[in-house]
Amino acid sequence: MSTVTPVGVRDADVVTQTPPAAGRRGWVGYLTMPLILAVVLISLYLYVNGRELDSIEARSLNAAALSTAVGEHVALTAVSTVITLLIAVPLGILLTRPFTRRVRPFIITLLTLGQAVPTISVLVLLAVMFLFLGFQAAIVGLVLYAIIPVLLNTMVGLEQVDENVLEAGRGMGLSRFQVLRRLELPLAVPVILAGVRTALVINVGTATLATYINGGGLGDVIMAGLSTNRVLVQVVGAVLTSVLALLIDYLAGLAENLLQPKGLRSTRS
Amino acid sequence: MTQTPQTAPEPEVMIRLENLTKRFPGTQRNAVDGLTLDIHAGEIVVLVGPSGCGKTTTMKMINRIIEPTSGRIILGGEDVTTTNADQLRRRIGYVIQQTGLFPHLTIGENVATVPKLLGWDAARTRSRVDELLSMVNMDPDEYRGRYPKQLSGGQQQRVGVARALGGDPQVMLMDEPFGAIDPITRERLQNEFLRLQSEVRKTIVFVTHDIDEAIKMGDRIAILQEGSSIAQYDTPEKILTAPANDFVRDFIGGGASLKRLSLSRVRDIELASWPTVSAADSLEQAHRVLRESDHSAVLVLDTEGRPARWVGAEDLRRGAGQSLDRIGTVPQAVVESRATLSDALNELIAARYAVTVVVDQDGRHLGVVDIEQINEAIRSMRHSAVAEARTEFADGRTAP
Repeated sequence: MSTVTPVGVRDADVVTQTPPAAGRRGWVGYLTMPLILAVVLISLYLYVNGRELDSIEARSLNAAALSTAVGEHVALTAVSTVITLLIAVPLGILLTRPFTRRVRPFIITLLTLGQAVPTISVLVLLAVMFLFLGFQAAIVGLVLYAIIPVLLNTMVGLEQVDENVLEAGRGMGLSRFQVLRRLELPLAVPVILAGVRTALVINVGTATLATYINGGGLGDVIMAGLSTNRVLVQVVGAVLTSVLALLIDYLAGLAENLLQPKGLRSTRS
Repeated sequence: MTQTPQTAPEPEVMIRLENLTKRFPGTQRNAVDGLTLDIHAGEIVVLVGPSGCGKTTTMKMINRIIEPTSGRIILGGEDVTTTNADQLRRRIGYVIQQTGLFPHLTIGENVATVPKLLGWDAARTRSRVDELLSMVNMDPDEYRGRYPKQLSGGQQQRVGVARALGGDPQVMLMDEPFGAIDPITRERLQNEFLRLQSEVRKTIVFVTHDIDEAIKMGDRIAILQEGSSIAQYDTPEKILTAPANDFVRDFIGGGASLKRLSLSRVRDIELASWPTVSAADSLEQAHRVLRESDHSAVLVLDTEGRPARWVGAEDLRRGAGQSLDRIGTVPQAVVESRATLSDALNELIAARYAVTVVVDQDGRHLGVVDIEQINEAIRSMRHSAVAEARTEFADGRTAP
């Protein structure tokens, strides 16, 4: 029984080690990443603009097609992350309650096994076995993959809350639910958010695979470039995906900072 | 408000533990084995014993953080063994060693926890929070908006006490509340807490493993053996003068006479006088005062009457031409009048002129304590305690 939890903890420790988010570094620090990304995008635009595009390239590299692809990609990431949270956070809460102690190791083992299966296999299996294609099928694949980091971080976040704080809360007459809502969850927020950030980054990257089952996204652009042997198209698709991933990671880092309970920040006033 | 048995002179029983037993799953022996104990209203009862004796388990069964296996808990005449535990706990203050302050909430919000649970309105809660913070000597305006992390350990524990008093409970449970605090701050917090208790008169169950703390804090002490069985339940005086058995004697350890000094306060004895001069006086005046006394130094008081300097004859000679508050040494051995004789003796031993200076709450000089007075106090305590033990023995109230 007790052998599973340490594994979970170790995994989640890896998960939590996202680079320290835009910490205390002032507004100059906060602006660095958006500026770099803007410079990359502008350079890419100028470069593409300066080239004579053939008809195949022009079909992929126009404002309408690219904004559709980016829009689909963002939708894939956002929807899959929201669904992941809706499943993983409540599950994490349930699995840290005393009454689920017996089933905890089994469920975690199961989900960890699930994560070991690559998303692409999940997508292909869904498509081939159930003829399940398109946006929704892609969401299923993404969610399955992203649940584990959020779940483990939720559990670790809840379990790392100081036992004394909970006992004091119980001792003052907070009900179990009040202890969860007022103490455990707020105090677990930083760790849970680190899990959410990881899920977002995983999803924004993996969403490029959705193109294989007609799920849309920036994967379409890259695939178009690959199948027509147009390097420029491939590069545009890849750069846009990377910029989007970095932007989302940056925004998630901002959210992490903003949502962290004030009393837990390491600054002393 | 409660129906206690009609024994008029006996103080009201606030907490009655009846045959209370706890066995943790998977253990062979009962952690608490059939404990029966009456705790009177307005008293501090200290549960003290070696580690593993079940004292903390006993305390935690009173607010049912640990549910008893069998037995009954009666609070103010009402059987609360099976009532709603959350409701019960809002009526019982709870202070733990590691403070357990909520790190994400401000000090004000922490203290407001129970008033909010009890559904008090915002204005009442706010004024209660300020009142409580003032009670534990913390300026509400300065500390209300801070976070626990920004406070020292001693301040955190003060907030812990204020928070426990939030809903004005009749009963408080305190689990080694001063255990994790440095000795000097602990001393201060203990004294402050005793002063606070003299105002609020709560019924307090206090757990510690430190017999000295038990003697200092307790109106009554329950010395517990394994399985929370009571070796002796009595006043500190009686436990020190008439230990019930070898276990108690061993547990008190050596120096029972010295420990008894923790029972009396400096304000209870007559202070000795010591020659003093004002800081504004001249060196010549100080010289004269010193010559006329049979002491080797005079105590210089500042304009507020607070001890400022010890000045001896040698200091006067070397400091010629300077003002009195610039020569000599700063008095180190200073205690407030509510300190115990034990505190005073501790200071006295290391003090330069073998006396401890006593000051009032505002730091103004009241007098001094020297070794003679400590001796006298020990003698008179021994007399009265022995006399009392004899009368009780004659009354047949204690078993031989």
